[in-house]
Amino acid sequence: MIRYYGGKILIFIVSIFVLSFLVFTVSRMAPGDPLVSYYGDRVEKMTPEEREHAENRLGLRDPILTQYQRFLEKSMQGDFGISYKYKRSATEVVLDRLPYTLVLGGVGFVLIFSLALLLGIVCAVHEDRLLDQIICKVGTVTSCIPEFWVSLMLILIFAVELKLLPSSGAHSLRVDTLSDRLLHLILPMTVVVLGHLWYYAYMIRNKILEEIRRDYVLLAKAKGLSKRKILYRHCVRNMIPSYLSLMAISVPHILGGTYIVETVFSFPGIGTLAYESARFHDYNLLMLLSLLSGMVVILGNMVAQIINERIDPRIQAKEAMHER
Amino acid sequence: MNDRFQMVGILKKKTASEVKSHPWYKEHPVISEVLLGLLILGCLFAKGIMTKDPTYMDLLHYATPPGKEFLFGTDTMGRDIFSMIWYGGRVSLFIGVLSTVITTVLAILVGSISGLASERVDTLIMRFTEILLAIPGLLLIIFIQAILGQANVFSISFVIGITGWMSMAKVIRTEVKQLRDSEYILAARMMGGNFFYVLWHHLAPNFISSIMFMVVMHVRSAIVAESTLSFMGIGLPLEVISWGSMLSLSEKALLSGNWWIIVIPGLFLVGTLVCITQIGNYIRKRGNTTQSVL
Repeated sequence: MIRYYGGKILIFIVSIFVLSFLVFTVSRMAPGDPLVSYYGDRVEKMTPEEREHAENRLGLRDPILTQYQRFLEKSMQGDFGISYKYKRSATEVVLDRLPYTLVLGGVGFVLIFSLALLLGIVCAVHEDRLLDQIICKVGTVTSCIPEFWVSLMLILIFAVELKLLPSSGAHSLRVDTLSDRLLHLILPMTVVVLGHLWYYAYMIRNKILEEIRRDYVLLAKAKGLSKRKILYRHCVRNMIPSYLSLMAISVPHILGGTYIVETVFSFPGIGTLAYESARFHDYNLLMLLSLLSGMVVILGNMVAQIINERIDPRIQAKEAMHER
Repeated sequence: MNDRFQMVGILKKKTASEVKSHPWYKEHPVISEVLLGLLILGCLFAKGIMTKDPTYMDLLHYATPPGKEFLFGTDTMGRDIFSMIWYGGRVSLFIGVLSTVITTVLAILVGSISGLASERVDTLIMRFTEILLAIPGLLLIIFIQAILGQANVFSISFVIGITGWMSMAKVIRTEVKQLRDSEYILAARMMGGNFFYVLWHHLAPNFISSIMFMVVMHVRSAIVAESTLSFMGIGLPLEVISWGSMLSLSEKALLSGNWWIIVIPGLFLVGTLVCITQIGNYIRKRGNTTQSVL
């Protein structure tokens, strides 16, 4: 047990380390001027001496490996440097924005998976009948539409034409009530949910269809259980482990989805921040954000693996058989 | 009924003759195939269809709604949307195909090397692939492109191409692992066939059907990636017309309520994607091969 989890933690640390090195070197070797994000347009008027001074001050003149070493030493103490653009500690900037993304992604995640389970079961129960066919067709089409275009259409319909909902931001200027925030959340949330819903619902539908063709269903039926009981007590329950691991794998993908949605709606979350920092070479912020996202990605996958390997009793039973 | 040993209480099984034979077009996504075919033809022969010069900025008629002269209206820079769609479709489809070619070649190389290599090298490559696979593709593309800055058609295809090979490589590896011990491959290698010879003549023909579905789907995700990038302003610049860069004007169009600038290119984009998906699904069903989880 200790060896199992120890190995996992070791892999986690090594992956984060490799990730940080890759992002660090690639972002620094890419063309672009980080000073622009610190000084704005003034950079163009700087004399070479001023430039040199500024670069020295930010430590951008040293060889990349020295810079990386310094980054490692500092980040171990929890100091990720300042964001060039916001002139504040990068950690603070991220912490300010984190709640927005957590709400968008978290609530979206819960909605996606509860709706997907519901849709999957409904489709599986009505297999190949009209309802199932309609849902499948609509689902395939919605899953094809790029997220940014869904957002545009929703903004066009609900914000521009009907003037019902706000089109951008997380709250109105000077107004900061809960209901206002909720109103601003509706459109981005819809896009996040629509973008992923069908993928998972379809997977659940197929899993259930596979499950109801197993032999034990026949036995349960012969035993006299009602259809409903067989479905919920046996089929759906059997599917839960793979459903859970699916949820864990999906975390990074849903997070990635919120990043794109955030930029379209100029929603002040991590996504817009990450996009800005990559685009304007705000190195310290970029490092912190990619480390955070990387951790979520790796953790999500590990949890999925652990669920697959440890939680499903059927797998343990199989392993026990092999050991004998 | 005339059977000598008639069993009671067992459902009569369908015999083969009872299954109706389908005409050839059954199961084929005919509508999608025809639509996509028309679209590709339209883009190839864009010169014949276009009513205006797609790059000409007619400042007198900027943002005019669809009408007789401008079939789909003009955008905020006064360009004719109808002509731009056919002209820009070339770029979008080209990026889709080129990046898919890059991806497929990479996937075949990585997959077959991993499948043929020794246990240790194989594990190493697969671990690496799995790490990359965990990162959401579109996010990776956006980050690389945002760091790289200005883009052109080839650099975009390249970025999309090198970020999408992972799941395909995994499928190829599994297939190659099953194939590599067969007699004919052993024979080919003993007669001195080198890696590429074996790959081309013996391995590829065997695994190509199992990745066909993924290849088709990659065209789709490449087109999505290009349009998302261009929309966000880090893809193709405005002067290079593609469906994505046409949509990058939409923010301005939203403010002034010029719906046609957003809706019309988007409908073409989505229509293409739906057609490709239908064809991809058909290939998957027909091939009935191992599906990827992601």
